[in-house]
Amino acid sequence: MHTTRILRDISIAFATAAVVATGFWMTSPVESQAARPARIAGKPNLNGIWQALNTANYDILSHQAKAALAFRPGPVVPVPAAPVLAFGAVGAVPAGNGIVEGDEIPYLPEAAKKQQENQANWLDRDPEIKCYLPGVPRANYMPMPFQILHSDKAVFIAYEYAGAVRNILLKDPGPAPVDSWMGQSVGAWEGDTFVVTVTGFNDQSWFDRAGNHHSDKLKVVERYTPQGPDHLWYEATIEDPATFSKPWKMRFPLYRHINPDARLNQFKCVEFVEELMYGKLRKTPVQ
Amino acid sequence: MTKRNILAGLLLAAVFVTGRSVIAHHAFGAEFDPNAPIRLQGKVVRLEWVNPHTWIHIETIKDGKPEIWMVEGGTPNTLLRRGITRDTVAVGTEVIVDGYQTKDHSLKRANGRDVTFADGRKLFMGSSGTGAPKDGSDPTEGGTKPAPKKPGGGK
Amino acid sequence: MRIPIALGLAIVGSVGLIAQQAPASAPRSAGATAGQGRSSAAKPAGVARAADGKPDLQGVWTNATITPLERPQNVKDLVLTEEAAARMEKAVTDRRDRLNEPSDPNRTAPPQGGDGSTGAAGNVGGYNNFWLDPGERVAIVDGQRRSSLIIDPPDGRIPALTQEARTRQQARAKMAMGRGQYDHPEYRPLAERCLLSFGPTTPLVPNYFYNNNLQIVQTPDHVMILMEMVHDARVVRIGGKHLPKHIRPWMGDSIGHWEGDTLVVDTTNFPPQQNFRGASENLHVVERFRRADDKTINYRFTVDDPTTFTAPFTGEIPFRAMEELIYEYACHEGNYALGNVLSGARNEEKRLGSKQ
Repeated sequence: MHTTRILRDISIAFATAAVVATGFWMTSPVESQAARPARIAGKPNLNGIWQALNTANYDILSHQAKAALAFRPGPVVPVPAAPVLAFGAVGAVPAGNGIVEGDEIPYLPEAAKKQQENQANWLDRDPEIKCYLPGVPRANYMPMPFQILHSDKAVFIAYEYAGAVRNILLKDPGPAPVDSWMGQSVGAWEGDTFVVTVTGFNDQSWFDRAGNHHSDKLKVVERYTPQGPDHLWYEATIEDPATFSKPWKMRFPLYRHINPDARLNQFKCVEFVEELMYGKLRKTPVQ
Repeated sequence: MTKRNILAGLLLAAVFVTGRSVIAHHAFGAEFDPNAPIRLQGKVVRLEWVNPHTWIHIETIKDGKPEIWMVEGGTPNTLLRRGITRDTVAVGTEVIVDGYQTKDHSLKRANGRDVTFADGRKLFMGSSGTGAPKDGSDPTEGGTKPAPKKPGGGK
Repeated sequence: MRIPIALGLAIVGSVGLIAQQAPASAPRSAGATAGQGRSSAAKPAGVARAADGKPDLQGVWTNATITPLERPQNVKDLVLTEEAAARMEKAVTDRRDRLNEPSDPNRTAPPQGGDGSTGAAGNVGGYNNFWLDPGERVAIVDGQRRSSLIIDPPDGRIPALTQEARTRQQARAKMAMGRGQYDHPEYRPLAERCLLSFGPTTPLVPNYFYNNNLQIVQTPDHVMILMEMVHDARVVRIGGKHLPKHIRPWMGDSIGHWEGDTLVVDTTNFPPQQNFRGASENLHVVERFRRADDKTINYRFTVDDPTTFTAPFTGEIPFRAMEELIYEYACHEGNYALGNVLSGARNEEKRLGSKQ
């Protein structure tokens, strides 16, 4: 009897500990939000799993819905290209309000032509199709979340798409010694806005699936301004004298996943594109 | 067991490939043809500073006609940490390469088994001379700091 | 008499204390997973702490070392003498310097039929030594120069495989014999496909070649470990629960908790393709991160897979603070090699008419 009570109390203690340990999993959104510190080292807390809710990845300019991402001539109107036809409505492009201030991209004439060509040859050219790294700012409006890890020493972004990552350097190391897909990010706070300057890009990534592109002279200045605990107002100023006649700006909200279970899943798509990229090199190609 | 044996044993383990997975990455045997040795001498026309392997594009002359070969190197990241960048070796620099062509003989590509300047010095040694890697293990150790990074020019 | 809840919680708490690492000044005895004795670990003086009071593990670290994972056959002791370690290190730097000396500018092409180089160099001589950055120092943990990263079993070697594992390997080998290793991209190593690095991701064992660097970012809810190759970020959910069994991310699923000043990370849910030393999808890795001083994290890992290894094994690796930056390792985007390997095999088949 005595022993039973002891065992009972001990098991209560363990059970309590277990509940506390998994409590993170069992709270409601309201409770977990209350537990989230408002500030980290005096700055607004950027931690969380964030995602854009727009169709900018299809086209950063305003656009109406259309049948497909790639077309070929049809008897009356252009029809979906053969490789995408079977998707039907799943392969259609939804409408979007656009995220570009002024809804216009100030291309230089040659660059404007290249954008048209990119779009017409989307299947061959969009780096997203090959699961290449998305670059900045496209990574921030991919249709997948990203996680910001914000401590007193670091700001780091882990993207679900292709496992892309960005370490935002808080001390400027000088010009990037090499070009990269995600660029070199240097961040600093201006009041409650986190400002990130990104340089050192290669010329390989696109801004969307509509062929909007840039050169390796690209410079992006991002501004992350919290609007309460669950929203960030995001702005990115694009500068590239080899592609655009003047700087221009994208802006849209970023929404925090408030589900306490929220976590980044994995989308390592490199594996998914092997048939596409190497299928013809198989000893016995798939018919 | 003599001290020399200990040394030999550790040296063997430390210096040579120890794990199956490590052999598996370096697909040298899978990619290049031991029956197709090459020696190239020519000018660098392009440096692809990419992972998993840097590719050095070299223009050689064969039978009076220019030929572009791509030569495979290693990861650029280790060189960057020594202050060596794409601009360290300028386009137009004369280099000598010995190696083996890819098994795909339709490609003019080879492994950079030994890539040197025309005078025989190794290509990416860095201004510190030894190109010594720093694993930061002993803070009191003297020795070379990585060479100052050159400004990322070419843009 | 009722035992107060406090005692119950104390029992829970003391489990944590036992599992804490105590700094040792003598070679460890076997059974490292059983605990290092009851001496309470003194909080290292001057270890930086994060805002929530936990030791700060953040920064950029390298785990490069010349100490191998397994102890060489003819070496008995875990701890090297200072002289032996110095000789090892000198041999490595001497070799490096020798390989970095100028070559003969009048050299001819290498030998027809290959240059005889073994291992990674693949009979074609690989590439120059200046591309490598394997580390130049033996691993030093708590003042001990180590002859192997593995500390348990006491012989410093991975335990024998189970019969099940041997059967599995034989079946794989048999299957591999019946097909060409270059027939399909799926037959190529994960690293050649740029799916994962050629070194293990979990545990964080160095690859002995290059880019043995990682970055740690720490918040109260998550600890992120970025490995330079292949820009793989492991996000450890502090206080989280493991994913459902059918969800198996490439690097497994990591959850963590603090035991005093030690971060304990538990990883399961490995996919069967990621087979660290022949492990199966039942692989279970427990890692312990302890900030030893302002320049070092003492990292300890235990690998456990009863369907593969006849016993668990434990290793220790010092992570050393690194001043330099981690650079982007965009592997797939620049991966000429995989295409070269496959087209090479097809080209060779046409030329030689034989199956490789």
